[in-house]
Amino acid sequence: MNGRTTLLATAELLGWWAALAVLWLVFISTVDTLELVVGAGAAGLGALAARAARRAVTGR
Amino acid sequence: MNGWILAAAVTLGGGVGATVWGVATGPLRRRAVAQNLCTAFACPALLLLSQGYDRPSYVDLALVLALLGPVGTLVFARLLADELAEDPPSAWGLTYAAAAVGAVVVPALCVAVGPSRAMAKLLVVGVLLIGGNVVASRALSGGFPEVRRG
Repeated sequence: MNGRTTLLATAELLGWWAALAVLWLVFISTVDTLELVVGAGAAGLGALAARAARRAVTGR
Repeated sequence: MNGWILAAAVTLGGGVGATVWGVATGPLRRRAVAQNLCTAFACPALLLLSQGYDRPSYVDLALVLALLGPVGTLVFARLLADELAEDPPSAWGLTYAAAAVGAVVVPALCVAVGPSRAMAKLLVVGVLLIGGNVVASRALSGGFPEVRRG
C-alpha cells in the first residue's frame, strides 16, 4: 500500500461517510448534538462496510 | 376521514387486496409477481396514512418496506430460479402501474409537506420504492441471467 492507494482509500471512505451522514441527517426527526454524534459514528462504520462490500464485489 | 386517508384506503383495498388475492391463488409465477407488487402498493399506502393521521413515524415503516420488499423478492427469485426459469413471470404492465402509484403519491406528499428534510426523506423513499420494484421485477422475469450461475 503506497501513498497513492492510501489517498484513494481515504477519499473513498470520506465519500461514503459524507453520503451516509447526509442520509442519516435526512432520516432523523429531531436534529440535536447527540443525534449528529451518533450519526457521524454510524456513518463511519457504514463507510468501512460499504468500501469492504464494494471491494468484495469488484474484486479489487 | 380526509382525502389522504381515503386515498390510502383505496390503495390498501384495491392494490394490496388484489395482490393478496394474487398471492393466495393461481400458479407460482402469478404468486411471485403478486408478492413483489404487494409491498409496492403497501408502501404508498403507509405514506398516505402518515400524512392523513399526521404521524411522521409511519414514513419509517414505508422506508423499511420500500427497502426490504424488493430484497425479499430477490430472495424468492433466487430460491425459485429453477421453477421460474421455464416460464419466467413477466408483468411489466403491472410493475409500471405500481410504479405509477408511487410516482403520483410521493410528489403529492412532497407538495403537501413543502421543502424540508421530510420532503428529502419522502424522495429517498420514492426512489427506493420505484427503483427497487423495477429491479425486483426484472430479476423475477429472468433479467439477470448471470446471477443464476452463482
